[in-house]
This record gives sequence, C-alpha cells and structure tokens, in this order.
Amino acid sequence: MDFNLNSEQQLLQDSVRRYVDKAYSFEARTALVNAKQGGSTGNWAIFAENGWLMAALPEEYGGLGGSLIDTALIAQELGRGLVIEPYLGCAVLAAQTLAAGGTAAQKERLLPLLADGSQRIALAYSEPASRGMPETVSLRAERDANGYVLQGRKSLVLGAVGAQQFIVSAQVSGAKDITLLLVDANSAGLKRQAMPLHDGTWVEELTFDGVQVGADNVLNGGLAALRASLAHGIVTQCAELVGAMEKTIELTAEYLKTRQQFGVAIGNFQALQHRIADMAAEMEVARSMLHAALASVENDDDATRQKTLSAAKALVCRAAKFVCGQGIQLHGGIGMTEEYQVGHYYKRAIVADLLLGGSDRHEAACAAALQSELRAR
Amino acid sequence: MDFHPDPSLASFRQEVRQFLQTQVPADLKGQPRSTRSTREQVMRWQKVLNAHGWGAPYWAKKDGGTGWSVPQILVFDDECAAAGTPTQDPFVQKLLGPVLNEFATPEQKAEHMPAVFNGERLWCQGFSEPGSGSDLASLRTRAELDGDHYVVNGQKIWTSYAHESDWIFLLVRTNPEVKKQAGISFLLVDMKTPGITVRPIRSIDDSHHLNETFFDNVRVPAKNLVGAEGAGWSITKFLLNNEHATTADLPVQKRYMQQLRQLATTQRVGGELLIDQPEFALKLARLDAEVQAIGMMVQRVAAMEQEHNPASHTLGSMLKIRGTELQQKISECLVEALGDYGAVAYPDPHEDLDPAQPLLPLQEVARGMANNMFFHRASTIYGGTSEVQRSIIAKMLFQL
Repeated sequence: MDFNLNSEQQLLQDSVRRYVDKAYSFEARTALVNAKQGGSTGNWAIFAENGWLMAALPEEYGGLGGSLIDTALIAQELGRGLVIEPYLGCAVLAAQTLAAGGTAAQKERLLPLLADGSQRIALAYSEPASRGMPETVSLRAERDANGYVLQGRKSLVLGAVGAQQFIVSAQVSGAKDITLLLVDANSAGLKRQAMPLHDGTWVEELTFDGVQVGADNVLNGGLAALRASLAHGIVTQCAELVGAMEKTIELTAEYLKTRQQFGVAIGNFQALQHRIADMAAEMEVARSMLHAALASVENDDDATRQKTLSAAKALVCRAAKFVCGQGIQLHGGIGMTEEYQVGHYYKRAIVADLLLGGSDRHEAACAAALQSELRAR
Repeated sequence: MDFHPDPSLASFRQEVRQFLQTQVPADLKGQPRSTRSTREQVMRWQKVLNAHGWGAPYWAKKDGGTGWSVPQILVFDDECAAAGTPTQDPFVQKLLGPVLNEFATPEQKAEHMPAVFNGERLWCQGFSEPGSGSDLASLRTRAELDGDHYVVNGQKIWTSYAHESDWIFLLVRTNPEVKKQAGISFLLVDMKTPGITVRPIRSIDDSHHLNETFFDNVRVPAKNLVGAEGAGWSITKFLLNNEHATTADLPVQKRYMQQLRQLATTQRVGGELLIDQPEFALKLARLDAEVQAIGMMVQRVAAMEQEHNPASHTLGSMLKIRGTELQQKISECLVEALGDYGAVAYPDPHEDLDPAQPLLPLQEVARGMANNMFFHRASTIYGGTSEVQRSIIAKMLFQL
C-alpha cells in the first residue's frame, strides 16, 4: 500500500482545491445556497470540463478510467468547500449504477453524456421505509405489452433537480431480484416534489402513478449493481466528511490563536488544546477508516466489502458529527450563527449521517453479518 | 495512493511464518500474548531469534539488526503474536538499543551488544521518580564524580521488571547548577552493584511488574556514561522518539478480539448464545470497526516512519491515545462478556496453581482477563500519558 499521492493524484487534488478556493468561497457558496437551486449549471460545466465527472468512468465510454481513489480525492476537496453541486447523486451514484448494471447499449449512449455533463441522471433507490438500504423496495413494476408500468414512491433522490432521467429500483411481480429501470424525468404520471436539505443541497420526492417505461429501459443489473454503486457513494461521502473535518479543524485552530479571552488567546488554555487534539485524532481515525474502505473495495470479496463499507459509513459519520460539533463548541456563540462557516460543516455531517443509511442501520448490518459469521462456526 | 497489498510483504510474511513453523520449539509457541513474557522465556526466545540472524528485528543492518522496513516489522510482530511466541525485551530492543547504536563508545558496544543479541542480559529503565513522572526534567537522583566512579544516590519509581533485570539505564542529575535539562546524564548500571535495593509495587492487576528502586551510594564506573556528561536530555528525546507505529500494540488487540469471538459463541445468556444478543453483537461490531481503523492508522504511521516523515510524530501521538483507549475498551468488553463471572478474582495468571484445588467455575477461560483489563488502565499513562500526547499534538500540529 502507498498512502502518498502520485503525481496525477496530486494534480487532481490541486485542481479541485483551486476551484473550491476560487468559486466556493463561503460568500459565493452562501449566495448559491440562497438561490435555492442546489448548485449552478455553470459550476457543473466546469466540473465536466475539468474531467471530474468522468474521472472514475471507463475509458471506452468517454471516461478517464480512473478509480474510486480519484472519486475520493475529488469528494474530499468538495467536502472542504461544502460544495452543494450534486456530485454524489449524479456523478457517483447514478453514473456508477449505470456503469455496473447498464446494458452495453445504455452505457454507450448515456455514459459519455454523463461524462461531459450534457445530461444528468439521478438514482432513485431510497424509499421512506428503506432508510437508505437498497434491498427494501415496494415500488411496483407491472409488465404490460409496451414494457412496464410503475406504481409507488421514491424518497430523497439526490441530484434529482435538473436531472433528465432517473434510474429507479422496482419490484417486478414474481421476480427475485429487484429491477433497475431508466425513467424519463418528464414521464406522464411522475410527480416530482423538490425540497431542500439542511446543508443547502436539494432532493426530490418522486411519486409514480402508472408511469410507462419501455422494455429496453431495463438495466442488466439489479441489487448487485446498486450495491456496487452505493459502495462508491459511501466512500464518496466518507471522503467528503474527512474534507469537512479537516476544514473545521483548520478554522478552529485559527480561531483559537486569534480569539482573546481573559487577556490571552484562548488557545493558551489546555482544556481547549486537548479538545482540538482529540478532534484531530478523531479525524485521523476516520481518515484511516476511509483508507480501509478503499482498500476493501480493491481487495476483498463482496461480503467483507459490504461489512467494511457499513463500518466505515458509521464510524466516519459519527466522527464527523463529533468533530464538526466540537468545532461549534470551541467557537462559542459565533459558531452558532448562520453567517459563520463552521456551523455549516456540522449541518453537512448531520445530513450525511442520515443519507445512504444512518450509522445505527449500518452498525446493525455489521452486527448481523457478525452474528451469521459466528453462528456458522 | 494505492491500496493494493504489497506482494513483497506477502512473501516476507511467508518467510516469517515458515521460520516460526519449522525452527521454533513448540514450547515457545501457543501462548497468549502479554506485555512481557517470563525472564526465562524472553532469554530463550532471544537465543532462537539470534541463531536465525533475527536478534534485533527493529535495528538497521549496520547495527547488526535485520534492516527490515517498518511495514516488515509490523508483519513480524503480527506473525509472532499469532503464533504465540514470547516477547523480546522491549527495553533493550526498542529503547536502549537504538541509543547505544547512536551514542555508545566502541568499548560500550563491545561490552553490551553480544549479551543483548544472545539474550543473556535483560534491562530495565530508570527514568521516572516520585515527583517527576511526565516532567522528567525535574528528576533529582544525583550522580557525583568521585575519581573514576560516579556515586549515585536517589530513588526511581515504576521501574518495570527491575526485579528480574540485570542492568538498568538511568537518568541522573550530574550538575545541579545548570538549567534543569542541561544537568542530566545517561548512565548504564549493573543491578548487582552494592547499594541498589528493589522494592516491589503490587499493581491493581494483581501482579508484580512494577518496582521502586533505591540507590544508596552506588558506585558506577565513569566509563558507563553514555554520551557526554549533561547529554542525557537529548539522548532521552532521541529515545522517546523511537516508537510510533507499534505504540497501539495491535497484535494484542487482535488477540483480544479473537478471545471475544470465542466467548461470543461459547457463553450463553438466557438460552441463547451471547452473539445472539443484539446489544452484544452491536458492541462487537463497533469494536471490530475500530480495530480495523486503528489497524490502517498503524499502516499509515509505519509508512511515514519509513519515509522519515516528521508527521509520523503527531500521527503517532494520536495513535497512542486512540490505540490505548481501544485496548481499555476491548479488555473491558472481555470481562463484561463473562457475565457474573467477570466479577470473580481468579488466581493471578503467573501464580502456580495447586493441582489438588478444584478449578473455579469458568477459570480456564476467564483467568487473566480481568488482570489484563486492570493492567490496561496503565496504557494511557505509560509512554507519555494521553494528556501529554494531547499537549504534544496541540503544540506540534497547531502551534498552540
């Protein structure tokens, strides 16, 4: 294993950081959040131009053939800047579901469009009762002469605002596996309701009332493809949170050196020194777990990988809530204000923990895996 | 970044495994890993390693060591723990040895190194004193030059294994007139020298590894001074800077996790296995995740140490804090997993049992577990307390 960035990775990290510093100053971000669009088409075009949308897509479909490590590097920088563009929803979750489960024709047609940013697709897999876990699907797909008719509901679709298509997970009567289908965003019978999240990103709630889908819109892969893509999603989220923690700690360290109380900079107080040391240790444990997840995706069998990813999701999200929460604490009152940056990292951590399955759910999944492993002995 | 496993490490692991399988006597294997094995075992194990050319696994080739990389050292430690071999003498291997390699005269090396390699001389460390624990600069044990001898007077405390050590490396005040740090020197002392008294301190884990050591007009040849007079402080800083990646003692943690899994499938609660209890399964899963994260952190620190990256110091401090806290959590969980029997004070694991006495319930499984738990309260104290580590991080990382 090598923990150092190679020259290409270093270039990638530098270029994303430069963009975030320039285009995503806290003031610029606040303006973007206030515009209630969940990002800007201009920024998305820059993402595409710089190759960030295609970094981890296969070369044969217009991608750069990079790996999940590239995605993680991009995500970490976006996390530092609290970027609200739908990178996770569109560039990672939807694109990787298509890459893992799309037919050759679908990949040939759509992946290049995702790579160059001319199309957006969002992944609609979550339902109110699924709490982020992909195996719970109650949305029905009934076969008819033209293909399928969809009935049901999908919740909190990341990156749905501005998407032209959705990849929807559905239960076909009698089928064992779940079925993934491409659905046009303007389909008759599809109701879309947009809503903001605490961190300034936007999602949509989708209601399918007899939505007609052609038979050639069915993807090859089912749950396995979805899991593969969620693996990318979880790693992306963990990396974003490591970036968010890094920036929170940097802001806090700076504040401890400048803010005066009792005639000295508050960084002179050991209680606060020890608190920020604990925040840093928590972040580095979380970063190590992110690395463990990346290694597992690279090296492990499917069951081990699922367990490691769940463990990573829970551990990193809990760490982020602690570190970002302590960021507010060490700032005192100013940390509570909407106009100061640090509180927004905490909001990001809270949102991340709730999406793609909460910490409790992922830990329960690990516990269940452990139970069946040990019982089988 | 690249997370593919290094194939050369895999073949190195095979090499170590083969050595352990074929060239290590059976009675030196299969033991639970503890902080330090018995004197007899440490010495025999050292001879076995030395005969194989592995007498100093942590040192550079030029110093007679194996010249292994830090990741190789981790593999070696991991395999030895898995095979249940004795430990080496950590004081000479990890602390004193590097100091001698760096600062000792050729005569001092000729005197001590053969004995180190051949396992004929065990060492203890005389740093702490009553009143100067983490604040080493305040130490008061004096050494005054009298002809070609230093005369040492004073007291050391927390001297682990002093009662079974042959020599001690000692910090003494040779000059009370200068700045605190500048008056300290580094001495090597034969424990058989007249005037040394070792008094045991029984610790809460019910065993004897700690001692008070008293020095009453102890005459030490001046040639046993390491480095210059007054250089003790910088030598100590060098010595304390040595160990980062192994500070979490990961092999021991893994061993405890194995024991936890064992208990999970053998102990019953209300008609079901312990692992079927959701709250226990959840706790085990959380510990598993933390061991995995700490394991990767160990790899990161090892890689940094290998590259002599100064960031390994602060990351090492974080690893020390979190790794030792994890030791406490896991060893507590083991005792909790025993249920009511976790509360029983079983006989000390080092105590010879009377075969005529019937075993207490669960004794074969549970003996030693609570001792480990109590012992690990020391993990966050020795080697620089967690509080000292936090201050180091705040200072080095954030300039606070």
